[in-house]
Amino acid sequence: MSIKMIKPAMITTLVADPRKGYRRWGIGAGGAMDTVAMKVSNFLVGNEGDQVVMELGYSSSQILILHDLLISATGKGFELYLNNKLFPLWRPVKVKANTLLRLAKTTGGTWAYLAVQGGWKAEEWLGSCTTNMSAKRGGYQGRILQTNDVVEAETNYSADETGSLPWSVSVMSLNQFYSLPNEIRCMPSIETDWLSESSRQIFSSGEFGVSLQSNRMGYRLYGPLLSVKEKRELVSSPVEVGTVQLLPDGNLVVLMADSQTTGGYPRIASVIQADLPKLAQCLPGEKIYFKWLSFSEAENLWHDRDTYLAELKQSCRLQLNLMR
Amino acid sequence: MKDQYTISFLNEEVVLISFANKIDFEINDRVIELHRLLAQTPFPGFIESVPAYASLAVYFNRSELSKASPLPALSFVEGFLKNLMNRLPANTFSERRKIKIPVLYDGEDLPALADQQQLKIEEIITIHTAVQYRVFMLGFLPGFPYMGMVDARIAAPRKATPRTCVPAGSVGIAGFQTGIYPQSSPGGWQLIGRTPLKIFDTLKNPPALLKAGDEIFFFAVSQNEFNALNEY
Repeated sequence: MSIKMIKPAMITTLVADPRKGYRRWGIGAGGAMDTVAMKVSNFLVGNEGDQVVMELGYSSSQILILHDLLISATGKGFELYLNNKLFPLWRPVKVKANTLLRLAKTTGGTWAYLAVQGGWKAEEWLGSCTTNMSAKRGGYQGRILQTNDVVEAETNYSADETGSLPWSVSVMSLNQFYSLPNEIRCMPSIETDWLSESSRQIFSSGEFGVSLQSNRMGYRLYGPLLSVKEKRELVSSPVEVGTVQLLPDGNLVVLMADSQTTGGYPRIASVIQADLPKLAQCLPGEKIYFKWLSFSEAENLWHDRDTYLAELKQSCRLQLNLMR
Repeated sequence: MKDQYTISFLNEEVVLISFANKIDFEINDRVIELHRLLAQTPFPGFIESVPAYASLAVYFNRSELSKASPLPALSFVEGFLKNLMNRLPANTFSERRKIKIPVLYDGEDLPALADQQQLKIEEIITIHTAVQYRVFMLGFLPGFPYMGMVDARIAAPRKATPRTCVPAGSVGIAGFQTGIYPQSSPGGWQLIGRTPLKIFDTLKNPPALLKAGDEIFFFAVSQNEFNALNEY
């Protein structure tokens, strides 16, 4: 019940439930870049949403399936091939041993998620199995997966043949997370009123590009430069995934899954949690624009997402039980 | 002391209580005392709180909270924190740990710093070891302690061009702050020495030696003493 990395993607790590309760030691929570795709990949194989999945980003990958497995691949910007035959994403797939799995990079997305029934085996560190590359702990030896690494599944599975199960997540229902891929909705944050009036306008009307200097810690943006009303130093203060910081040169950075816990740049906006998967899936070079949203609107969207995921988990369970 | 603070959202599940925008012992005391009180008397769904120089972030699970209270999350957490602040007696100052940290003062930036401040290297060492420092907060890297206040005579700004790799254990200065690199990383602080102590060890729980509120003394050691104490 294991797989062997033949050619990992540019950034391939094991991710799981964020590591909570250690931020006061400067240890960030981490976890998946696209939490919706990550949770859904787990639900499709009957797992809890936070079990260990493989996150593959930016480029194509090849994996040799060594034993029978029930897997699912989700995410944006990839196609799934098993022994060179195309299979759909967002659907559970039975795979026979000695199958070559390929996730081929296409357009319109950055991260793919590969889940297995029972989850992947990973090192637990401080209550979570997610990789912390800064402390070099959790996941697979605290690091990015490399060629020839063997990753094991937690449970055995027996597949009669390689093939998709006859049900999947409705692509329509996923549109609530991924439609309008360039519109990123934000709430005001702690230092939003530091922005000059014109900069506040530009923030919600200008077009920003995702820079090549983007990674799991943060997405740097380029575009119109913003400025504050008066130059002030900010003493270091907590930041969180989705925090939009204004750098001294006038550019913006949005903190992502592996962000540090504190920062010293003005926090001028906060990307709503419901739009973080969409932003995570933006490739360097892609254009985005921001839209201000009130706190209560963000709360409603948060609630909608939570309800949708809870219902999806139940219906996947039901479908998998019917198969038995 | 009448507390002044604002309460706002960092995102849908994080509230930030800000007292000021400055490095100040008394303000940091309030942050740390509130942090402690919150850990002792958490609210439903509370996950953790993160103390910084002059603000405290409060993380919670919204689903857990909504099961326990019909109030909107912001109103509930805001009310809860205000209530805690009212119960926090003025000038509370709970017991702080005192920790001594050995340093071999052989930092790469020491000669330039001495030149720039027109001091002898020995004088810099004497000044750096003369005062007790407060760990105001941890951040930047896992286990990185932000400490102060550094004597004005050696308070040198960050380097214009950060180093691509500062070795673990390096002791640095940035303005009125002093810090220790818990692991090797890029960094812009002026390096004055290194400690043989592992201040971040992932095999321990908690992995960080220091925490916000600790009182720190540095003392100078020789190369031989450093070698004997070396945990790396």
